[in-house]
This record gives sequence, C-alpha cells and structure tokens, in this order.
Amino acid sequence: MTKQTILHDRHVELGAKMVDFAGWHMPVQYTSIIDEHNTVRNAVGLFDVSHMGEIIIQGVDALELLNKLVPQDISKLTDTKAVYCQLTNNNGGIKDDWIVYKLENNKYLVIANASMVDSDINWVAMNKGDLNVEIINDSHNYSMIAIQGPKACELINELGCTDLPAFFSIAEKELLGHNVWVSRTGYTGEDGVEVILENKYALELWNTLLEVGKKYGVKPIGLGARDTLRLESAMPLYGNDLDETTTPIEAGLRWSIPKDKATNYNGKEVIDKHLADGISRKLIGFKMIDKGIARHEYDVYFNNEKVGVVTSGGVSPTRGDNIGLAYIKNLDNLTVGSTIQIMIRDKFYNAEIIKKPFIEKRNKGE
Amino acid sequence: MKESMLCTKTHEYVLELENGYEVGLTDYAIEQLGDIVFIELPEVGSEFNKNEVFATIESVKAASEIYMPISGKVIEINEAVVDSPELLNDENCTDKWLVKIESNADQVEFADLLDYSDYKEEIE
Repeated sequence: MTKQTILHDRHVELGAKMVDFAGWHMPVQYTSIIDEHNTVRNAVGLFDVSHMGEIIIQGVDALELLNKLVPQDISKLTDTKAVYCQLTNNNGGIKDDWIVYKLENNKYLVIANASMVDSDINWVAMNKGDLNVEIINDSHNYSMIAIQGPKACELINELGCTDLPAFFSIAEKELLGHNVWVSRTGYTGEDGVEVILENKYALELWNTLLEVGKKYGVKPIGLGARDTLRLESAMPLYGNDLDETTTPIEAGLRWSIPKDKATNYNGKEVIDKHLADGISRKLIGFKMIDKGIARHEYDVYFNNEKVGVVTSGGVSPTRGDNIGLAYIKNLDNLTVGSTIQIMIRDKFYNAEIIKKPFIEKRNKGE
Repeated sequence: MKESMLCTKTHEYVLELENGYEVGLTDYAIEQLGDIVFIELPEVGSEFNKNEVFATIESVKAASEIYMPISGKVIEINEAVVDSPELLNDENCTDKWLVKIESNADQVEFADLLDYSDYKEEIE
C-alpha cells in the first residue's frame, strides 16, 4: 500500500505529476524539472519531504547507543547542533545516512531516509541491548517542509520566524502560532530551512508559504528537481551512491569521520583499515565531454578496461552540461583531469573526472 | 496533433506526406516526458523494421526508446530538434517531427495503428 503525506491532495490540486517513490506517492514535478531547479537556485522553492523518517532516541544511554551506531562522535554534539552521519553495518557498509540532532541532554532526533525507517528501527533495537534508551518512531506524526533557495530565509522571516538557527542547527520556534522545529539544513546546496511540524499544521504552513512567498517567486518543487539539485552539490543519495556494500571512505565521506573518536562503533575495524591502508575504489565526480547523459548503473571504462559504474547521473541545469557520480578503481592515473568513457547504449562517450561539488557552495556551511 | 495521424500504443505517430512519411512523438508522450534534454536520431539511409528502436529521447529523469510505427528507410532527420531538444517542449514550435522515411509498408503493418480519435480514447 503506497503511503501519502498530509499534503498529497494539495500536490494533486497544484497539478503535480505523482510517482511512487520509496513506498510513497510523491510529486515528481509540478511544471518542469528544469524550471523548478532554477527556482531553487535563484529564488525559493518548497519541498514536501514528509516521507522522511523522524526517530527520537532518548534516555540516559542515548549517547552511548548512537555512538555505537555511527562513525561520527555524537559526544561532541552540543545542544541544538546537528551532524551528518552514516548508520554503518558490521562491515563498515552504509545501512542509511542520517542527520542526528541533539535536542537536549539525553534526547536526539534522527532524520532517516523514507524507505529505510523500518529497517533502521530494527537495527537500532538490535543494538540497544541492555541500554536504557527509548526508540520512538515518530514518522507518522510529523510532516517536514523544506524551504530552500537564496530567498528562503527572507520568506520564513516574513512569517514572524526570525533569529534562525545557524547552519546545521535546530531551534524550537513559533510559526503561525504553532510550536515547530526549524532546522538550518537541506538537500539542495542552497541556504534554507527544514520545518518539522505536527501533521495537522502542515497544510496551513504549506499554503501560507505559497501565498506569502509569491513576491519572492516561490514555487512548489518536486522530487525530480530535488535530485538534480542534490547531484550538482554532490550530495549522495542513499540507494544510488551509498549502500550496504560501500563504506563512508569509499563514498568520499572521509570529511565526516572524526579521527579521534574514543569509542568503538559498528564497522570501525573496516573503516579504520580503509583509512590506514587506502581503498580499492572511490566515488568520483565527472562531466560529460561528448554529448550524452550518464545514468545510474552505466559502466565506466578507462583505456578499454571496465573500471567502474555510474551511481548517479543526469543534466546539470546550473552548469548547462551533463554530470555524474561513479565508483571507479582507485588507480593513481585515474584522477581529476583524467578522461574516462561512459558506455551509453553500447557506445563510448568521453567524460572527464572533475572535482566535487559540481557547483560552488552557496549555503553558509561548515 | 493532426487528424490524419496514426498513432502507436507506445505514443509514436506516423503521418503520410506527399513523398513518404513523417514520424514523431505524440503531444501526450512529450507532456509525459517533461523537459527533453537529449535526442539521438539515426543516420539518413538507415533502415528499420516496424517496432524497431530508431531513436532515443532523454528527459531530465530518464532515457526512452522510440519505436518505428512502420518499416522504412530514413530520408531526412530533424536536425533542429537534435541541436535544441527543448524545442519539443515549446508550445509554439510546429516542427516537432523526428524523422522522415520512405516506406513500402503494407496494410498489415498499419493494422494495429490507432487513428487520432481511438488514440485519444486510449490515453484518457
């Protein structure tokens, strides 16, 4: 049975093309993916991301449990701060990627991928053991609306919500008279916020943002543009670029792994080995030289030898060319500037390995 | 869309011209694809059977294969849409055909094509 967010009927009313995604019936586009993409880069867009999971982990041992689950050091998180994490399996592979917020002492909020919530909950419960922790799947109680783009903060300010939290922080705020969480995060590479609120307030907020945001050129944005936006910013997509067989080091997420975490965590042995001895494959970014579009699972060649596979690929409306991410063999002569070939419909198309992200950072991050 | 077009259930159309036939995508198919960003057409002179893939059209989301409604030999391709695939999404563009072919297709090949009103019923 496909699930629907609280805003489902509103999306249909707004003329969205709906598709099944991660078990949910979601808007893929309202007008045009390219137009929606440009709206977020140049003005402000609204995303219904209520399909994402909200998990509360609380109790005196919450920190100990979380630190066992992810390579990141949750003990370093101060109140209201967030950190990008990977939920690792015992081989260092990635079961899901999370944003973990420390709400207060002994209380954490986890934002998980929609399709992974149930398996995450099982995994967390398995790892709980005798720890004094409560794991609450609050996903069905909360909606999430992302407001993203250079005008996003102005728009949310206009609703009386000022003093926004700093990048990768969360704050409890009053919005339209309701208590909500406002997080300075997103999946577009733009500045903006994600509002997490009780389902019953979601439609009112969505409609108000559309109405008040008119003067900023606000538009609702579907999953199609969400994908092109995150790809340009080289943000990995779970299931495409990350999965149980890839470690964070292979996935180019070394920046997110602290060197000095004192406590053990699932998969630490393998990740430490990857850090010490290097990796046999790596996630790289490329741009197409020849006219062609690389897609998920297309093969990558170098000197007529298959060296890898595309995990994400498509058009970059901001750059005006075609880009992608691929896992390739970690060879010394395969690096930024190297020409590789992507096999598209049984023909070789030249591409060049380039630095990630594909566009300059625009949010006030890190 | 022109009344005299014949359509496939996979949303290609074929239109008889004075010399040969014009083959393209129906407006419905274009609308379903969304922003079209890449079009690959065969070389002039290539020959195709009925239902054989002759072109690839990519939207932002995905690549789609396009099938020949009837057998034939390509005599002209629409270079304008290859250079500017977004023309297919342009409401004001009237030249959205993909290829022109010459064909000796017999009645059997036409038998499963839908006339315009039947096609409209099919997509509703």
